Amino acid sequence: MTLQEIAERLDLEILTTGVDLDRSVSGGYCGDLLSNVLAAAGAGSLWITIQHHVNVIGVAQVAGLGGVLLAAGVQPLPSVVERAEEGGVPLLRSSRSAFELAGSLYPLLH
Amino acid sequence: MSPRAIADAAAQQGLDLIAITDHNTASMTDVVAEAAAERGIRFLHGVEVQTREEVHVLAYFDRSEACQAFAEEIYRLLPDRPNDPRAFGDQPIVDLDENILRFEPRLLLNSVDLSFEDTVERILEHEGLAVPAHIDRSVFGLIEQLGFLPEGMSFPLVEVVGDVMPMGFDRGARLCSSDAHDLDQIGRRSTEFVMEAVSLKEIRRAAAGIDGRSVVCRNQKRR
Repeated sequence: MTLQEIAERLDLEILTTGVDLDRSVSGGYCGDLLSNVLAAAGAGSLWITIQHHVNVIGVAQVAGLGGVLLAAGVQPLPSVVERAEEGGVPLLRSSRSAFELAGSLYPLLH
Repeated sequence: MSPRAIADAAAQQGLDLIAITDHNTASMTDVVAEAAAERGIRFLHGVEVQTREEVHVLAYFDRSEACQAFAEEIYRLLPDRPNDPRAFGDQPIVDLDENILRFEPRLLLNSVDLSFEDTVERILEHEGLAVPAHIDRSVFGLIEQLGFLPEGMSFPLVEVVGDVMPMGFDRGARLCSSDAHDLDQIGRRSTEFVMEAVSLKEIRRAAAGIDGRSVVCRNQKRR
């Protein structure tokens, strides 16, 4: 399933412009400790988090994640969105909790 | 932020004492100490450790040797993940003339495999001063990451960024430092110590207000 399809199914807000969402998402990961995500999230996963500072983008790049989904309505600074666009990292957002989002995402991927 | 540029900025700001506390490393403290000495500025060797819970803890040392030994220990507990310059920029190590000696290959922007309590214990084992960094900050601050100070722990000094001392920390003295990631930021926050000498022992005494010593925050850039 592509990130575009997931965004549509889960009614996610797409914050980045010009970043390809046609990529296939291989899995999901929940976590707010960046070091933990670096160590444990699989490449190509969609990362669900409430962390929204600029290092989140760097982590997504280093770990080769499929995208970052900000949960619980957290609002990143415009500079973070810009950084995501520069880095080609899809940044999405939802007002739903990480728990709900993970719950909805899981059956789509398994 | 080359060593001499840091020392120049500090001199311009009228700072008499500085420390650098790089993230999980002390590879630059000796060279910055030299640059500071050229300008007659006193120097404390330090490191900023990121614990497993992503809490930042500052560690200060009286001697370079102690700082280096501690930093080596920390480095061994840092995951062996390489840095990605695209994502986080380079990690250059330079000499006094700004020649790049090497690039640190391991990602320093990571957490060390130590709990907050263990980190503090290790600092004390190396006779350092442990200061929880920017405890009131929403990112990497003790309060945000742990919720509260673990039971039985207290600190003579805590670093606070805002104007208000957080609840539960009023017994400790407040350290204000610039946390400069840019030359412009040097001196934006500073602390005035009234003490007999630059040493951890004196800093602890100043924090406790012993015999006329004191620690006062100066949250304004001088010029």
